[in-house]
Amino acid sequence: MALHSAIKGKLISVIGDEDTCVGFLLGGVGEINKNRHPNFMVVDKNTAVSEIEDCFKRFLKRDDIDIILINQNCAELIRHVIDAHTSPVPAVLEIPSKDHPYDASKDSILRRARGMFNPEDLVR
Amino acid sequence: MTAGKSEKEAAGQLLDALYLDMFHLIEEHTQCRVNLERSNASGAILLARTRFQHGGSNSVSTAQIPTENSSEFNALCRIVDSADGNGISVQRQAVDKNNGFVEPLNWFSVLPPMSLRNAATKFKDCIELVAESTNLQRQLGEVLGWIAKLRQSPVLQ
Repeated sequence: MALHSAIKGKLISVIGDEDTCVGFLLGGVGEINKNRHPNFMVVDKNTAVSEIEDCFKRFLKRDDIDIILINQNCAELIRHVIDAHTSPVPAVLEIPSKDHPYDASKDSILRRARGMFNPEDLVR
Repeated sequence: MTAGKSEKEAAGQLLDALYLDMFHLIEEHTQCRVNLERSNASGAILLARTRFQHGGSNSVSTAQIPTENSSEFNALCRIVDSADGNGISVQRQAVDKNNGFVEPLNWFSVLPPMSLRNAATKFKDCIELVAESTNLQRQLGEVLGWIAKLRQSPVLQ
């Protein structure tokens, strides 16, 4: 069954807690491709950091994914990998979860922006 | 000497304009994330209400969503280049079981309760906000790249 051949556009992938994944899947972002690879990963308290990291790297490599949504608390666990990804595609969006509100000071892109105006540069 | 000075001045003005752009984008980006958080929280509350009304925590959980062992299906919404040429937008497909476009609500119930339908609507709003936020993040990344380049240019040293 070749369901995916003529579909235009790219996917949104999700790495997050149960409510985030269930919610975005209800919204219609979920897909399982012909290789049986889903574009989502549910993270719970038993999920190892290495699993999150592997999944994130796998999503980065897939050329049919345009946006990776990741709960900010999960992003904190693999911060080094997220900071190393500076390419605009796929875009990595850190989103809040039910238990962890959005913290702008932790967001990779805003931390990059803050680095552009440190006080030493303003003196110069 | 004068040419060098005016070049430096022009580069300085450009840098100022880029910094101003950056601040505007940061403001919009943060506002968009706040809206996303609000929509996400409303969706989560509606999911909780559905669980409360329809038999505990397992009525809407990851146990119902497809896994690697499920049959393949397509996403109902995809990211496409925006028609006006400004970034990306979300394109939705109609439900068509024969072509693999399944209705996600039916994973949870044959007759989905109103609270679950409302939750789905909230998360659809979230997806629109995600597209908007991605556009802003990409613009911000571009501006940051230009600022970094300009700051390293010999004109401003």
